[in-house]
Amino acid sequence: MVELVPTLLRQELARLAENDARLDGRGRWEAREVSLETDCLYNAEGSAKVVIGGTVVYAGVKFELRTPWPDRPTQGSLMCGAELRPVAGRKYEPGPPSPESIELGRVVDRGIRESGCIDMDSLCIVPGEKVWGVMIDIHVLSDQGNIFDACGLAAIAALRTAVVPAERFDVGEDHRLEVNGTPIMASFTRVGGRYVLDASEEEELGGGERIHITLGDEGHLHSLQKGLKGVFTPAEFAEIFEVAQQRCVELRKLVAEKEGN
Amino acid sequence: MGGYGDVQLLRDDGLRLDGRKLDEMRPVTIEAGILPAADGSAMVTHGLNVAVAAVYGPMEAHPRKIQRQDRAVIDVRYNMAPFSTSDRIRPGFNRRSREISKVTAEALESVVLVERYPRSKIRVEIEILAAEAGTRCAGITAAAVALADAGIPMRDLIVGVASGKVEGTVVLDLDKAEDNYGQADLPVGILPNTGEIAFLQMDGDLSPAEFELAMEYNFKAAKEIHEIMVDALRRRYEGGEA
Amino acid sequence: MSQGQTGAEQRLVTPGMAVGPSAGKRAGSGIVAADNQFIATQLGWLQERNNTVSIDPIHAAYMPRSGDLIVGMVAEVRNNLWFMDINGSFQGLLPMSLAPWKVEFGAARQHMDIGDVVLARVQEVDECHNVVLTMKGVGLRRLKQGAVESLPVQHIDRVRGPNNERLQRLRDACDCRIMVGENGRVWIDGSSEGIKQAREAIHAVAKAAHHTDIDTILNELEKNMKGDA
Repeated sequence: MVELVPTLLRQELARLAENDARLDGRGRWEAREVSLETDCLYNAEGSAKVVIGGTVVYAGVKFELRTPWPDRPTQGSLMCGAELRPVAGRKYEPGPPSPESIELGRVVDRGIRESGCIDMDSLCIVPGEKVWGVMIDIHVLSDQGNIFDACGLAAIAALRTAVVPAERFDVGEDHRLEVNGTPIMASFTRVGGRYVLDASEEEELGGGERIHITLGDEGHLHSLQKGLKGVFTPAEFAEIFEVAQQRCVELRKLVAEKEGN
Repeated sequence: MGGYGDVQLLRDDGLRLDGRKLDEMRPVTIEAGILPAADGSAMVTHGLNVAVAAVYGPMEAHPRKIQRQDRAVIDVRYNMAPFSTSDRIRPGFNRRSREISKVTAEALESVVLVERYPRSKIRVEIEILAAEAGTRCAGITAAAVALADAGIPMRDLIVGVASGKVEGTVVLDLDKAEDNYGQADLPVGILPNTGEIAFLQMDGDLSPAEFELAMEYNFKAAKEIHEIMVDALRRRYEGGEA
Repeated sequence: MSQGQTGAEQRLVTPGMAVGPSAGKRAGSGIVAADNQFIATQLGWLQERNNTVSIDPIHAAYMPRSGDLIVGMVAEVRNNLWFMDINGSFQGLLPMSLAPWKVEFGAARQHMDIGDVVLARVQEVDECHNVVLTMKGVGLRRLKQGAVESLPVQHIDRVRGPNNERLQRLRDACDCRIMVGENGRVWIDGSSEGIKQAREAIHAVAKAAHHTDIDTILNELEKNMKGDA
């Protein structure tokens, strides 16, 4: 469904931007409150629920035994997918996976994969015969803006609390999945001419392009994505990159706190 | 005695494997209004099942060919999340979820005052996040609370409950093992105030007397769950009463 | 409708609940009679006034009635008419003949384009929910500036107050022009600070449970705005 953008919303967002203000009173680099819950779903080997403002997202990790690719006999596999089903909002329609949901899943997937936090060799059971396939499924239940960050956070938190169900598959004892690192995504949206962190639903509706940055523990870039119509300058990127560094440190701390429990 | 294979489902003391009595249901908790994007929503945990429902509308029914000139149509999608079962489910509709969606929609159309909204559509999205036998019933209960939360007019709420048979004995509210190895399952959707039935399925083997007892159990459980549903709506709007 | 419920005597009812004998009383909105009993059909607060039992719903969709003042948004433009999103189940139709301008066939878009926001009135609604809008009338116009906020339809009367008293206080305190559409859209125009204050006040009122005294929010606002001046 194509959403209707009220002319007055665009005007209002531009006017607010001039005064360095936002619709909900937040500062430009201020995010909404984030709540993270882990290990919240029976049947998932790892799970997390993330709430950012009115956005609600679940992620669940499942394992399967598979035969490794012939050219990589000792490597397991990782797959991350996102579902944007009609439950998530009025604008979402039933049908095959939309380009939006595929993009969402792949951006989260790249951030986790490229950070190298999962050693594919550690997923090997019998070289050339049996390896683990790890699957992260993300389910968006309520979209009120910035589902990307919510999905990224839910995925890594679910992964970091996952238990490999070896006993059920008769290949040893259950053990914690080895995850070396906590890649975190921070997303920025152009609203009223300039970028803001953690855009709300209305800001997304009246805003422009978005940039997603996934950073690893050392602050290295692991995944970047520019989505929607619009362009930006290197100077603008430099500015949000700095904000992303701080934001990712904060969210990484949140994930660590949950693991401590 | 009785069941399939050699799985024992009733203990020697007459209780069930998880310690429940024959006519005892699993614990149920309900929360209303949990999804801010929806017009109405609810989460039901029933045992280890987690069902979430979101309601959108009434809105103009699209495409036009599904419009009814004299009433609203209810568009239900029952869906199991990929991580909701012990083996991952590939995303997408399958025959089972299509059938459940259809009969659930028809059950809800029997309680919602659909004639108030000609040419409209009310979307009901049921998402199963964790499954442990009885997801369709948890889904119906969640849908009813979400519809009420959305302010949709209804003759009554509707409660999803199931009874069944294990080792030749009628029991209320089958858990996973009982569902897998039991002999019958009888899920129904009960209107708690009028005592009518809007949803009915059954599979397995029940004698007329067993059916009668199973229904008696279902009605008893529906009453208990109804109280939890009303309480969930009260807590959301009256606040602080929990 | 309901104002400033204090809670204790208010009773929340759920669909299907029997709410008392029907003898000698009338069934109002949200109530049906069955077997000499009144049955609630909606989630809401039970009310009895002038011998009529009804429900003040907790959540209601906008149902257009003729004469309603609404804030609409152009969703589609044809040669000789506009379709408006009116925050209801169905779009409203504004024919060229009911526009405030003399429009030539095919020139509709030059006057109003998709996304434009207007103040309009519901001219008529038929049984099949077809809604015809008009922009002929005092004050009905395209809104070229200001901000639009959403307000749950069931809370409109709370924001307005008896005889629009609260709305007027809000206008005065924020020094803003404010129009409350029956369809739950509120148009606010004024200084940046005024719009901000009005927006926050409206959201606070909408969020306030039935128990909260909305006037405290207004008193607070008036105090703050005076302090600033």
